[in-house]
Amino acid sequence: MDCFSELTYATFVDGELAAEEARQVRNHLAACSRCRDLVESLRAENRVLQEVLRELPQEAGERAGLAWFPRSWVWGDLAVVTAMLALSAIVSQWFDEQRVPEVLEWLNPFSSAGSMNLVFNLSYYFGRGGVAMLTHYAEIVGWLSLLCLLGSSALLLGRRWGRSRSGLCLLTVLLALSLPSLALERRHSEFVTVAANETVDDSLVATGNTVRMDGVVNGDLLVFGRTVEVSGTVKGDLLSWAQKTEVRGTVEGHIYTFSQSLDVSGQVGHSIYAWVQSLRIEDKGHVGDGIVAGAADVVLEGNVTRSVTVFTGSADVSGNIGRDLTMAGGNFTLANSARVGGNLTARVRRQNDVHIADGSTIAGKRDIQIQVKESRFAHPKFYFFQAVWLLAAILVGWLGLVLFPAFFHGASEAVGAGWRSVGLGFVVLVGAPVAMIVAAVTLVGIPLALMLLFSYLAAIYLAKVWVGAFLGKLLLKRDIATTRDWLLGLLVGLLIITVGEFIPFVGGLIRFAVVCLGLGAFAWQLYRASRPVATT
Amino acid sequence: MEDLELESVLQLARGHDADALAELYRRYSRRVFGLCRYLMGSTETAEDATSEVFLKLQRSIDSYDGSVPFPSWLLRVTSNHCIDMLRRKRRERQVIGETEAGTAPLEVAGPGPSPLSEVISAEQQAAIRQAIASLPENYRVPLVLRYYSDLGYDEIAHKLGLKRDHVAVLLLRAKRKLRVVLARGRE
Repeated sequence: MDCFSELTYATFVDGELAAEEARQVRNHLAACSRCRDLVESLRAENRVLQEVLRELPQEAGERAGLAWFPRSWVWGDLAVVTAMLALSAIVSQWFDEQRVPEVLEWLNPFSSAGSMNLVFNLSYYFGRGGVAMLTHYAEIVGWLSLLCLLGSSALLLGRRWGRSRSGLCLLTVLLALSLPSLALERRHSEFVTVAANETVDDSLVATGNTVRMDGVVNGDLLVFGRTVEVSGTVKGDLLSWAQKTEVRGTVEGHIYTFSQSLDVSGQVGHSIYAWVQSLRIEDKGHVGDGIVAGAADVVLEGNVTRSVTVFTGSADVSGNIGRDLTMAGGNFTLANSARVGGNLTARVRRQNDVHIADGSTIAGKRDIQIQVKESRFAHPKFYFFQAVWLLAAILVGWLGLVLFPAFFHGASEAVGAGWRSVGLGFVVLVGAPVAMIVAAVTLVGIPLALMLLFSYLAAIYLAKVWVGAFLGKLLLKRDIATTRDWLLGLLVGLLIITVGEFIPFVGGLIRFAVVCLGLGAFAWQLYRASRPVATT
Repeated sequence: MEDLELESVLQLARGHDADALAELYRRYSRRVFGLCRYLMGSTETAEDATSEVFLKLQRSIDSYDGSVPFPSWLLRVTSNHCIDMLRRKRRERQVIGETEAGTAPLEVAGPGPSPLSEVISAEQQAAIRQAIASLPENYRVPLVLRYYSDLGYDEIAHKLGLKRDHVAVLLLRAKRKLRVVLARGRE
């Protein structure tokens, strides 16, 4: 008689075989020692399995003393927050390894280069935009913070409802893994060089005071440095964040840069995207595609195959532009040797700002738009955006009041301290950036510096809210008993501030005073909150 | 409460007595958690499942008629709950894959004694538990229902929506997989 299959014996051992078949198996086993051994082995296997499974997993013991309420979702959320913190730690560790702050020495106000730079930049930015620029910046950050807040809430609520934990974990893991998986070659030192006879087969991340690339990089080149010189060949893209970026060699891809100055006297295979103070394409320079740039000064002496679009304080063009040239900003000069293959569009303030030499060539249309400095108050768009910002500020104020009622009430009341708030606010306004830079240059303080930066910008944005609420209360002359009263006061106050900010000459001062008052009140309220029995 | 007979505790629990329910939790949470841990494959989801089973117990205790011992009934409720959870997790496909179980032929057992059939030390027990935990869900769940909950093939098949023969195949495959994993662990 043939032996039965292992499946049959396993079913037999489990006592699940039909009676007739079980009888046949037993008969066979009586005659076949090999199958008997197999069945014995299967029985022993079952015993072991039962024995092992009877012993509960180790974690089971730890649960005996626990209360039997379900694990609160808060723990899960804490885990998510922990994961995010861990991720941030990885990122900051990565930044640490790059030692970025060291190469940003030129931003350090305590170094000679840094202080020169700081003074220069501050005077430049303040000269152009004044405090308004800072508050606009803060408005954007305020919105971003709000989005982050809403995003995080959605994420947390989504977790509760949608049980998307596994997806979130996956995302976290992927994010975490994506950091080391960049697989870039990294170099860091005071003076990073890629020698003329050297070839880097990978993408290269270089951080250093001076980064000099004379050889060949077959991938992309990412540079953080004070001075970046590319004399060799970059087969991919060049990404630079530096004080000075100079391309004398070849970049076969694109250039993306955030620098104080970008000088190109070599070859660029594709386009240049730049946010710089000064952009210069020298006469030997050649750009294979186009240029899109925001720059204080633009000088184009070389050759650009396609279109050029620049937002600039002054643009001097004496080179060759294959297609259209579009500029918006201050002065514009087209020299004799200049040639524009397509249309020329320039948006300037005055006709006198445009100088087009007779010898220059413009193949297409010439469109000089004089932007008469007509009052912005004439545009409905202006009122629309003001209304949007006003609503946003009220929304943020309402959110703040709901989330931190005592703090918001306290801060708006602290505005009433007048000179104390102004003085304190001024100290914070000036001191906080210095504290951030000091924290950042210590490397380990980078997360602290970033947190400070966000709080600083958020506080500048919120300053208007606190001052508005205080002003509203003052004018409505009644006790703010409900959230509705508070918001009504805020609306009135914000309207007054908004109108005040547009008064010629005084507007800037009002803006500045509001920021100082609000920041001072914030700092004072923080101080009070940290001292529960403090007296005012 | 600790000294009371199970019957008395159950009586009180039927009246939604909080202390009685807490006592049931104290007595059986380890076993319920153990089953959840084996079925769900992770401590976290097992903890969730355990909590939910005991929350459910407050409502479902009325349906316990005493025809089977309470621990068996509770473990059955637990396994049903876990299978529901697993099914929800994998709504898009059947919880226990029938495809490979039904069609692929079973390979012949390898020679030599099974590492599963030998007398085992505590350390080896831990290794086996780990190997069970690492089994794919469609092998692990029937295995645990059979050898932890002592369910018959028919009941397992019913719970998992499978044919009886598939249960037998899945169990044998699970054991073979365990043998391979454990043998590899010893090399």
